[in-house]
Amino acid sequence: MSKFSEIKKDFPIFERNINGNKLTYLDSGATSQKPNSVIDKMNDIYKFNNANVHRGTYVLSSETTQEYESVRNKLQSFLNASDSDEIIFTKGTTEALNFLANSIANKLMGEGDEIILSEIEHHANIIPWQMVAEKYKLNINYVKVNDDFSLDLDDLSSKLSSKTKVVSIVGESNLSGMLPDIKEINNLVRSNSDSLLIIDGAQLVPHRKVDVQDLGIDFLVFSGHKMLGPTGIGVVWGKKELLNSLDPVYGGGDMIEEVHYDKATWAPVPHKFEAGTPPYVEAIGLGAAVDYLGNLGMSEVEKHSDELREYGRKVLLDIDGVNVIHSEQDIAGCTFGMYVDGVHATDLSVMLDTHGVAVRAGHHCVQPFHRKLGIDATIRSTAYIYNDKEDIDTLKSAIISSVEMLR
Amino acid sequence: MSIREKVDEYKKILDIFPNDQEKYQYLIEKAKENNSFPPELRLDNFKVNGCQSQVWLVPEEKNEKLFFNSDSDALISKGLVTLIASIYSDEKAEDIVTSEIDLMEEFELGVILSPARRNGAYSMLKTIKEYAKNLIA
Ligand SMILES: Cc1ncc(COP(=O)(O)O)c(C=O)c1O
Repeated sequence: MSKFSEIKKDFPIFERNINGNKLTYLDSGATSQKPNSVIDKMNDIYKFNNANVHRGTYVLSSETTQEYESVRNKLQSFLNASDSDEIIFTKGTTEALNFLANSIANKLMGEGDEIILSEIEHHANIIPWQMVAEKYKLNINYVKVNDDFSLDLDDLSSKLSSKTKVVSIVGESNLSGMLPDIKEINNLVRSNSDSLLIIDGAQLVPHRKVDVQDLGIDFLVFSGHKMLGPTGIGVVWGKKELLNSLDPVYGGGDMIEEVHYDKATWAPVPHKFEAGTPPYVEAIGLGAAVDYLGNLGMSEVEKHSDELREYGRKVLLDIDGVNVIHSEQDIAGCTFGMYVDGVHATDLSVMLDTHGVAVRAGHHCVQPFHRKLGIDATIRSTAYIYNDKEDIDTLKSAIISSVEMLR
Repeated sequence: MSIREKVDEYKKILDIFPNDQEKYQYLIEKAKENNSFPPELRLDNFKVNGCQSQVWLVPEEKNEKLFFNSDSDALISKGLVTLIASIYSDEKAEDIVTSEIDLMEEFELGVILSPARRNGAYSMLKTIKEYAKNLIA
């Protein structure tokens, strides 16, 4: 029997009953559910170990500090990074991208320099760049998306130039599940520019094995809460020499070497980027999540995701009247955007809820891309390790009966 | 009918339905029956803040009473705003302002009528009360 067949038992939320139905949770793209091991780990810290990190010279603080710092090592090996100092903790992907945008623009960019994003980026990978572009007089270009939802890499090549200082691209689309060829993008960026390459791994890292050295990229950002971990914790991975060259964006305690009334010197990476008390309990929770995924094995997680995607393609692509936004490439995430002509996405999701089916409705923070497709809103089904084929079947039958009522 | 009487009437109707699904179905039917909102009034200045669906509300004063006409681009939400508009229509501004009825508490309407700030129905209730308040002031 597969490792995944009994997995729901590790997640206490699946004991809940929603409107008289079992919970069919298909909104892991928004946030994942948490296994007992993560919840218990965080509880244990609060109950038995709690003390601020890096500050006390007593047992509790030293234990918590060790646990907290050991999560960097776990993440280092999870991502195959070359050094645990390359792991910077943030609040999540959004904060990570805001930090990178501000730090890079401040240190490495000047008037007229260019940032390249793509048309399918999440707002978290658009707005921070728009904000710094305004402040530092930078230009933003968007790589086109093909009709099959893949990125137009010829368009990327033509937009790269000596002016390009940052390319920041989603690692897995949160609407279509499209997986861009990151290695190919990296090659194009290296051969046509001196730009940095950032990958928004919010959806990618939870689902697929990521080897940052193999990909050759400069920065990877992601959120703990989408990969079984708690909210309030995310990661920037960056090449150490690049991190060394950047300045902090936030100042405060714990990030300094020496402070005078007129100036201060920064602590070495990673601490110079982590001002103030970090969310250390959340970081330790993320460590437990990484352990959980590690025990399953990321190649098994990928295989499970591929199976559900194939099943989803079989079952969801031909529901009468339902339009599907889903990558047409062979390999993609298990994410399906859907809309029905004449039926509002919120109506559909409210009706699905009465079947215990939780999906998201709206523009999923990719409003420009919805606008480009000429649709207001979609519902989105995103599956994760605890989902099975039955969940997809439930989704399908709930869609069919809901659409009937709404027509 | 007073606001209280109308609310009680609707509560009686909604109570007949054993689950959310059938309550929503009732709202969908109410929405389909409501054809009184002229499409050309779907204007930004009549729009009520709401995140998930768009809601429009047009107030009118006639014979010292207030009337509300409303619309939404989503069906369930349209059914709900139609119901709310009929509760507060044909009432004096003072009665609307002094009414202490909390619809969120009175109607058990699951996820669609919740005090979430970005909920269209929530903003609509606030707008109705503010409109009435400004008339008295
Ligand atoms: C592709 C992508 N990028 C960024 C984010 C933002 O993540 P967070 O809200 O955890 O900061 C999300 C989450 O919705 C996402 O899907």
